[in-house]
Amino acid sequence: MRQSFRAAVSMLAIGFATVLGITAAEAASCPNPRQMDGFKTCADVAKAEQEGEVVFYTTDPPQATTEVMNDFMKAFPKIKATFLRLQAGNLFQRLMSERQAKTNVADVMSISEMTFATDLQKRGGYMPYESPEYAAYRKEYKSQPEGYFGWGTLIVAGLAYNPKLVPANEAPKNWPDALNATFKDAVNTKLSTSGLQDAVWYKLRQLYGEDYWTKFATLQPHGFDSYVQQFDRMVNGQDKLVHTAQYSAYLQLKAKGAELEFVFPTDGVVVGQSLYGAVEGAPHPEAAKLMLDWFLGKPGQASLQNHHYLSSPRTDMAPPPGGIPTGQMKVLLIDDWDAYLKSRPQFVREWDKITGMR
Amino acid sequence: MNTTAERRGPDRRLGRFLVVPGILATIGLLVIYPVFFLVTESLNVGDAGTFPPDELGFGNYQDMVSDTQVLWNTAFVAGLATVMAVGFGLLLAWILTRTAIPGRARLERLMELPYYMTPLVGALAWGVIAAPKTGLANQLGRLLGTNGDVLNIYSAWGIAWVMALFEGTVAFVMISAAMKSMDPSMEESARVLGAGKFRVALTVTLPMILPGIVSATIFVFAEMLSAFAAAFVLGIPSRFIVITTVIWQSTSAYPPEYGRAAAMGLCLFVVLAVAIGLARLVLRKGSYATITGKAFRPRPLRLGARAWPLVTVCWAYLTFAVFLPMAALLMTSFQKFATVIVGDMHFTLDNYASVFRQGAVASALTNSIVLGLGVATVGSLLVGVLTWVIFRARVPGRFLVEYVVMFPQAVPRLVFGLGLLWAWLWIGQALPFTLYGTLWILGLAYLTVLLPLGVRTLAGVVLQIDKSLEECARVCGASWVHQMRTVTLPLLRPGIVAAWLLIFISSVRELGASLFLMGPHSKVIGPAIVDAWLTASSELSAAMALVQTGVVFIAVIFLLRVTRRYSGDPA
Amino acid sequence: MSETEIRIEIRNLVVDYGDVRAVDDVSLSVGRGELVTLLGPSGCGKTTTLRAVAGLEDPTEGSIALNGALVYSASERRNMPAEKRGVSMVFQSYAIWPHMTVFDNVAYGLRVRKMSTADIRSNVMRVLDLVQMRDFADRPSSRLSGGQQQRVAVARAIAFSPEVLLFDEPLSNLDAKLRVSMRVELRELQKELGITALYVTHDQEEALAISDRVIVMNAGRIEQIGTPEDIYRNPRTLFVADFVGNANVIRGQAREAAAGGEVDFVTMGGPVLRAAAGHAQAKGDAAALQAAYVDIFAPGRSDVPNATPGTIHRRMFHGDFIQYVVDWPCGQLLVRRPPTDLFVEGSAVTVSFAPEHCVVL
Repeated sequence: MRQSFRAAVSMLAIGFATVLGITAAEAASCPNPRQMDGFKTCADVAKAEQEGEVVFYTTDPPQATTEVMNDFMKAFPKIKATFLRLQAGNLFQRLMSERQAKTNVADVMSISEMTFATDLQKRGGYMPYESPEYAAYRKEYKSQPEGYFGWGTLIVAGLAYNPKLVPANEAPKNWPDALNATFKDAVNTKLSTSGLQDAVWYKLRQLYGEDYWTKFATLQPHGFDSYVQQFDRMVNGQDKLVHTAQYSAYLQLKAKGAELEFVFPTDGVVVGQSLYGAVEGAPHPEAAKLMLDWFLGKPGQASLQNHHYLSSPRTDMAPPPGGIPTGQMKVLLIDDWDAYLKSRPQFVREWDKITGMR
Repeated sequence: MNTTAERRGPDRRLGRFLVVPGILATIGLLVIYPVFFLVTESLNVGDAGTFPPDELGFGNYQDMVSDTQVLWNTAFVAGLATVMAVGFGLLLAWILTRTAIPGRARLERLMELPYYMTPLVGALAWGVIAAPKTGLANQLGRLLGTNGDVLNIYSAWGIAWVMALFEGTVAFVMISAAMKSMDPSMEESARVLGAGKFRVALTVTLPMILPGIVSATIFVFAEMLSAFAAAFVLGIPSRFIVITTVIWQSTSAYPPEYGRAAAMGLCLFVVLAVAIGLARLVLRKGSYATITGKAFRPRPLRLGARAWPLVTVCWAYLTFAVFLPMAALLMTSFQKFATVIVGDMHFTLDNYASVFRQGAVASALTNSIVLGLGVATVGSLLVGVLTWVIFRARVPGRFLVEYVVMFPQAVPRLVFGLGLLWAWLWIGQALPFTLYGTLWILGLAYLTVLLPLGVRTLAGVVLQIDKSLEECARVCGASWVHQMRTVTLPLLRPGIVAAWLLIFISSVRELGASLFLMGPHSKVIGPAIVDAWLTASSELSAAMALVQTGVVFIAVIFLLRVTRRYSGDPA
Repeated sequence: MSETEIRIEIRNLVVDYGDVRAVDDVSLSVGRGELVTLLGPSGCGKTTTLRAVAGLEDPTEGSIALNGALVYSASERRNMPAEKRGVSMVFQSYAIWPHMTVFDNVAYGLRVRKMSTADIRSNVMRVLDLVQMRDFADRPSSRLSGGQQQRVAVARAIAFSPEVLLFDEPLSNLDAKLRVSMRVELRELQKELGITALYVTHDQEEALAISDRVIVMNAGRIEQIGTPEDIYRNPRTLFVADFVGNANVIRGQAREAAAGGEVDFVTMGGPVLRAAAGHAQAKGDAAALQAAYVDIFAPGRSDVPNATPGTIHRRMFHGDFIQYVVDWPCGQLLVRRPPTDLFVEGSAVTVSFAPEHCVVL
């Protein structure tokens, strides 16, 4: 079964390779991946260095991404790594527009939502490439079929509050506790354009029904583009509670010495993910593969953990600085991806109403 | 000897007929072509990711009916801000052109300062000053024992206040130009005929400057409608949404709602076009005289001790528009967490270290400056020629050129940026070189959206140059090119320097069009500040905003020094 | 004046500004060394005609030839650009370029013609000498008085020895005294250099003083062409009579419309005057009489031509002359007498004038 799938992938890859004018052996997986410093790759490293450049499209905050790019360039000084950071929706649309106009810029992309990745895969937007590092990832953490994208980071979503404003006995323990009327006009969340929110909406709706969000809407939550604004407002007292709070943000602020508490809801944290893949038609195909392998391999994972405080999907990695491993959390995973993807338009409409965006 | 000349005759005539179509084709490509994409997209009711659209319809326009709250918000905040801005402008113009207050000359110069600030910087700064609970003013208030918040900038009034502060100086410039270009003998003759001060103001002064006020009002209102930064930074936290925020949100959504964004943008365009058309109608004659006309120095009112309240008004405006925001940003930029509570202050240079150390920010700043220099240099020359063609050339259809050139003024930047993105992506396929994703495309976009600004600046100067100065050169035997080089352009130099400065400033602080067009190799500072605000901290964005403002300011001072040294004439 | 001597020849020129016809079927010619003036009120088309000759206006119809070569022809679709026509022009505003020195201004036309530096220098100094501005050569032209700017403008216009020089109201921005002396200088210069000139002015005194021939224009059309004396003495139309000099217009009817010679002119006020018959197409319903041609005598004189009784209504002393308003049977009559001829207001007088000075229109 697996063998035949790999054959199919390589057939496909040959097709693409002919278009791209590169040999089939290099396009897909390889029997003898090259061992680099801490990870394996099928990319032609010499060629990648000749390409001299790699462009990374991402939804992650630019400050930490700059550091991650610097780590990559330390490992490969001959390859200049640049990036473009946009909101998930904007990033996806930018890539789609470029593809339509046949003006390819991106080599590797990480995008924080499954909807986009699946859509892109359907449109043939990913370069089929079987990274040797995929071997270290669970099946659920890879594209179906394998070879298009993988879960590069896990984004854990729970609740976070300001202990100066919320006494310990009033602190929420689980998701329904967040609906307490004391949080009216004092709770913030993400906007519908933001990655994680869709998964939280879907999961809690599944657990507690439509009712949960109807009640949440009465709190008049403030919606923001990124966790930075969410946590800023909570830490400085404009809001008491962060709903859909990123664990990574908590770790980051804790490390800076800010006063805040994170709640792992007893009913479970929702886990989102950043999806990493090489882009079809990448102007620097070998460098793209190399970078993807680096991201999925231990050095890249360590870099992402250190700078973004995000958790690694790999079981052979330590938790991010100051954090606990995902294995110790009760995790609510999306079980039916099709249903999840289909519910997207409904989510956007409802969420925009909840956050007052329309 | 005449045979050559005879042959040249008809050729030249033909050449003249080709000038306008040539310019129209070039500018049209830059200006109209992106709008074509917008119109098409606004009719797209199928898959938003497909271009050209599979399905066409008016669904996007019909949907707008359900967005009444957004439309009302937009009208309310724009109206409020316009009233405030014109109020500021009128008051300041009257004080600074009609009264003899101490330090008037210096105050008049200082009124330029808000120009160097951007609405984005202002919004960030006022967020720091007057955000509920955390705003410096509110922290100070709590320290002094007030209950709750003294100020809330995250509101319609707050947004209007910030926008009005920065457009107030535009209104001031336009209204005071109208006041200065009014011959004081008209007032004096009314006084001589026995009318009192108040009566003169009501029956002579006001009707005379009314066109100036009306056109300033309409112009400012148009700017307010298409403003993005203030409503984006200050509106979202309070769930106060205007059209431009919706446009931005629609383009980031998944599935993307480009149709909705384009339709809203085009509706805004229609309103703006009507408003600007009205402004032109009001100012049909002497419209440019109100910008830089012949100035009369009316005998100012001597007020004695009563002058001090007026002086206070001027300094208060400058304080709110410039000094206070700058001070707040400065303080914030050196702190770990923004606070006025002395005990909680932790000072650090980290934010500035990030600005200069981080490759992305530093290169964005460099790119912006390079773009500013390039666009300003090419743009001011282009604007010089275009303005000349519009107002001087004896060629058919030159008014069409004016309409096309002024067109981007009516399209909100944000929407125009989207159109430019699509347009240049598609043109890119046909070109043998890469344009998309480079600084060149940003340069072209800036050039396009800043043309109206340049033409507006230069029109007054061109109109002031006596036509016979140019004709004389021709009669002396100079060709058109020679005449432009030796006579027209040297005479236009002060105007071109002014246009250069304005285009440079506007390029460095450009946001709307850049948001869509910047790429991994062509980051610019405006969107980078927004990014920092969204994803880093207000402390870092404060540092970036200050650095941006500083760069603009230094560049302006440097240029003024240089031009003063090289222009010998004491004009 | 033979064909080859004609420097400027305009035939049936029409210039339209949109719906307005600024110049309507104008034909004229200027001979070598001649100074011809276009005279008329503002808006009469005189400046437009001049600018069409320079190539600064696009005519609608007709043709313009300079030195025998067509520079504009509607029928041949020919329109030579201004810089190729080899004419020169002095502008009403002087058009002195403020960003250049006096020298640079004057040298402009020479530099355009790519003359050597030495030639430029000698030429510029020669013409600056002519206009007595040699000492100002290096001065920035923004620091010149009106009269000085005027001289520089003239120097610049003649520096490259143009065959045809056009003047567009060159003296109208000067004060009265300077205007009169500059008028003399301009005429001297034009005669000395033998320049062919077309000169536009609305000042009839200036036109009469400076010109070889005067062309009076009104509403885009030519009213009359003639020497200054002819125009002054024998106006052909009511307009010319009214515009040139200080003519009295007397209403009435000529008895027999005989061309040439004298006729009886029955005025509306009663008296029958002897008058000059005027030109063939004269309508005969008015007569023009220049104020300077009228004599005033003590009452009762009858041995003078056209002796008519009158009363001094008003006396105004002008210095060079005295202007009287005399009540007479045909209304009021303007009379100019030398300051030595004094009459008291209210006194009865006899007015008289020669028949050839009273021209039937």
